[in-house]
Amino acid sequence: MTLPLLSTEELGLRVEKRTLLKNLSISLNQGTFVAVTGPSGSGKTTLLRTLAGALTPAEGKVISNLDSNKSLAMIFQDLQLADGATAINNVLGGSLGRHSFLSTMFRFPAKERKEAYHLLAKFKLSGKTNQWTSTLSRGERQRVAACRTLLTKPHLLFADEPVSSLDPILAEEVLSHLKSSILSRNGCLVCSLHNDEQVAQFADIAIILDATEPNGWKLESLKENIK
Amino acid sequence: MKTELPWHSKFDLLGVTFILFILGSFSSLLAIEGSGRDLDYIGNLLRFTGQFFPPDWSIIDRTVEGLLETVQIALVSTLLAIIISIILSICAAGTIAPFWLLWPTRMLLNMIRTIPSLLWALLAVVIVGSNPLAGVIALTFYSVGYLAKFFSETFEAANTDAQKALRSLGASPLQAFQFGLWPNARPIIWSHCLWMLEYNVRSASIIGYVGAGGIGLHLKLYAESADSWNKFSLVLLCILFIVTILDLTGEKIRKSIRDKLDGKPSGT
Repeated sequence: MTLPLLSTEELGLRVEKRTLLKNLSISLNQGTFVAVTGPSGSGKTTLLRTLAGALTPAEGKVISNLDSNKSLAMIFQDLQLADGATAINNVLGGSLGRHSFLSTMFRFPAKERKEAYHLLAKFKLSGKTNQWTSTLSRGERQRVAACRTLLTKPHLLFADEPVSSLDPILAEEVLSHLKSSILSRNGCLVCSLHNDEQVAQFADIAIILDATEPNGWKLESLKENIK
Repeated sequence: MKTELPWHSKFDLLGVTFILFILGSFSSLLAIEGSGRDLDYIGNLLRFTGQFFPPDWSIIDRTVEGLLETVQIALVSTLLAIIISIILSICAAGTIAPFWLLWPTRMLLNMIRTIPSLLWALLAVVIVGSNPLAGVIALTFYSVGYLAKFFSETFEAANTDAQKALRSLGASPLQAFQFGLWPNARPIIWSHCLWMLEYNVRSASIIGYVGAGGIGLHLKLYAESADSWNKFSLVLLCILFIVTILDLTGEKIRKSIRDKLDGKPSGT
C-alpha cells in the first residue's frame, strides 16, 4: 500500500482567539479529488494554508510524505498576480523553481514558453497572452493564477476557490482541467468549493466544515471506489 | 439623532499644517521690502520687455544647434541617472534593504538633493572643464538624488503579493523580485524617468550659464551683450517649444500607463 501524500493527526486550527477546527485526522491519497466545503468563515482557507505549510497548526500535526516541497503548490484565493506583467509572464512564473536566475533573466526556455501558451489556450485565454493582467477581468485573472500554479507541475495541489468568479460552464471546464492534470500525475487535488453540484460532480471525498462547531466537521465519501 | 463633532476635530494634521502655512506666509511678508526708492515699476517693465520683441530669427540655426546639444546632455545624463538610481534605490527601500544599508544610502541621497543643479554644474566645470561632459556629470548627480528617492518609494509602495506567491511556488529571491515585484513597480518607475527627462531638458538649458554646455551659454552671451534681448527671447521661445512638446508627450504616455494599471483597455 502506498503512503498518503499528506496526512493530519488531530489537527486543530485557530485564528486569533477563535477555534475553527478540532481533531481533524485525514489522509490525502494519490489519485483523489478532495473538496473542502462549508459556509464562509468556517476555516476553509485556513485549513488549505495550514495543509500547504504556510501556517503552523494550533494543535496536532501535518505529516508530509512528499519527496521535496516542490511537488506541492497552491492557487491563492486572492490570486497574487503581478499586475504590470503580461498573462504569459505571470504563468511562466510557475516555472521559476526549475531554472536558475541567469537562465530566466532575459528569456524563459522555449519549452516552458510552449507549455505556458498551451495551458493558457486550454483555459481559453489564448487571445490574452500578451495583455497586462491588470486589464483582465476577475475571471480571467483567476484562470491565469491557475495556469501559473499548474506550470509548477505539482503532485499535491491546493486550490482556494479557484472557480468562484467563473460562470458554471467555464467553472466545470477549469475544474476538469485541474483534476485531469493532477490525477494524470497520480497526485491529489484539494479544492475549496462553494457549489454543491460541483462537489458532487468532481470530488471523491468532501470535507464539510461547520462555522459554529469546531468538532462538527464531516468527512463524506462521494465515490464508491474510494475508502 | 445628529451628533456634532467636537470643535477641535477639524484640527487634524492637514488642518494644522495649513493654518501654520498661512500664518508663516503672512508673518514672512514683514521681511519683504523694496529698495525704498521711488521707481516707475510699470515703465521699467514695459521698456525692458519691449526689447524682447520682435525675436531675432537670424540666429535660429545656431540656436537649434545649441538646443540639440542641450537635449543630448539631458538624454545621456538621464540614462546614467536611471542606471545608478535603480541600484541606489534598492539600497534605500525599507522593504528590501537591511537597516545598516538603508540609512547611509538615504543620508547620501539627502546630501545629493541639497546641492542645486547649478552648483553641481559649477563643480563639474571646475573638474572637467567647460564642456558638455560637465553638464552630463552635473545633471547625472542632480537627477540621482531625486530618481533614487522616487524609485525607492515606488518599490516600498508596490504590491508584494505576487513576489510572495512566486517565492512559495519555488522561485529564488532574485527571481521573485524580477517577476513579482518589478512588473508592478516598472510602470511607475518609467513614468518617473520621463518626468526626470523633461526636468533635465529644462535644467540643461540653464547650466550652460556656468559653462556646462548646451543652450545656456547662448543665453548668457545674449544677456550680457548690449541690445541682444531680442536674440535672448528667440532662445527662450525655442526652449519653450521643446519643453512643451516633452510635457505633452510625457503626459500622454503617463496617462496611458495609469489607465493600463487601472485596468482600462489599452490602445485608447
